[in-house]
Amino acid sequence: MTANNEELELKDRLSLIESMIAEGRRTTERWGWVFVLWGVANITAILWAALAHFPWAWPITMITAWVVTIVVAVRKTAKRPSTTLGRAVSAIWIAFGISMMLLFPALGISGRIDEYIQISVGSAMLGMAYAASAILLRWKAQFACALVWWCSSIYACFGKSTPVAVVYLSAIFLCMIVFGVYGMISDWRMRRREASHA
Amino acid sequence: MPELPELNPVIHGKLRLALLSLLVGVEEAEFTWLRAKTGSTDGNLGAQLLKLEEAGYVSVEKKFVQRKPQSLYRITEAGRAALTEYVHALRQLLGGAIGA
Repeated sequence: MTANNEELELKDRLSLIESMIAEGRRTTERWGWVFVLWGVANITAILWAALAHFPWAWPITMITAWVVTIVVAVRKTAKRPSTTLGRAVSAIWIAFGISMMLLFPALGISGRIDEYIQISVGSAMLGMAYAASAILLRWKAQFACALVWWCSSIYACFGKSTPVAVVYLSAIFLCMIVFGVYGMISDWRMRRREASHA
Repeated sequence: MPELPELNPVIHGKLRLALLSLLVGVEEAEFTWLRAKTGSTDGNLGAQLLKLEEAGYVSVEKKFVQRKPQSLYRITEAGRAALTEYVHALRQLLGGAIGA
C-alpha cells in the first residue's frame, strides 16, 4: 500500500467515526411533527370552542392529540436507541404535558379559570419547556420561540380580550406550526445530506 | 523524530470501528438498530460484536420483550477510552494531512 493510499484509508476511518457518532446523536431529532400536531390541535380547539360554543371542544381535541402523540411516539421510538440527551428532552415534554393535562381540566372543573389565566399560564409553561429544550439542544430557533411564548404570557396579564387572543393564536401558529414545519424540513435536509455523503 | 503510535487492531476493523462510534453516541442500542445503521449481515455483526465484547469494549444485555429476544449493547468505559485513544493516534498519524 502506498503512503498516499494509507493516508486516504486513515482519513476514511476518521470520517467513518464522525458519521457514525452523528448518526447516534441524530436519534434525538425528528420531532417536528409533534409541534405541528399540537399547533393544529390548539387552533382547532380555540376556534371550535369560540365559534360553535361547544363545551367539549377542548377535551375532545386535547385527548385526540394525546392519543395520536403517544401512538406515533411509541412506534417511532420502539427501535431507536436511548440517549441521555433524548431522555432529558423527553422528560421536559412529558412533565410539561402531564402538568397541562392536570392543571387545565382542574381549573375548568373548578371554574377558577378565564381566558387570561389560560393564556398567561399556558404560554408561560410553554416558554419554560421550549427554553429548557432549546438550552439542552443548543437550538436558537427554539429559544426564540420561548421568548415569543413569554411575551404572550406577559401580554395576557395586561392586554384586552381580542388582542390577547390574536397574540396567542399568532404565537401558536409561529412557535408550533411554523417551527414544527421548519424542524421537519431541517431534519429532511440533514437526512438527504447524509445520504449523499454515504 | 517522535515515534508514531500504533493503531489498536481490535478497533481498526471497519465494522468494529463503526459499531464503537455508534455506541459512543447512545446509552444503549439494539442489535437490529446496529444492523440497520451498519448495513451488515447478522452473522458478521454478531461476530464483530463478540470480538468487541471479548476485548471488554462493549457489554451486552440479553432479555425477552413480549416473548421476543432482544440484545442491548452498551459501550464500556474501556471501550470509550480505547476509541478516544484510537482517534488521538489516528490524528497523530495523519498529522497535518487532516483538513487538507
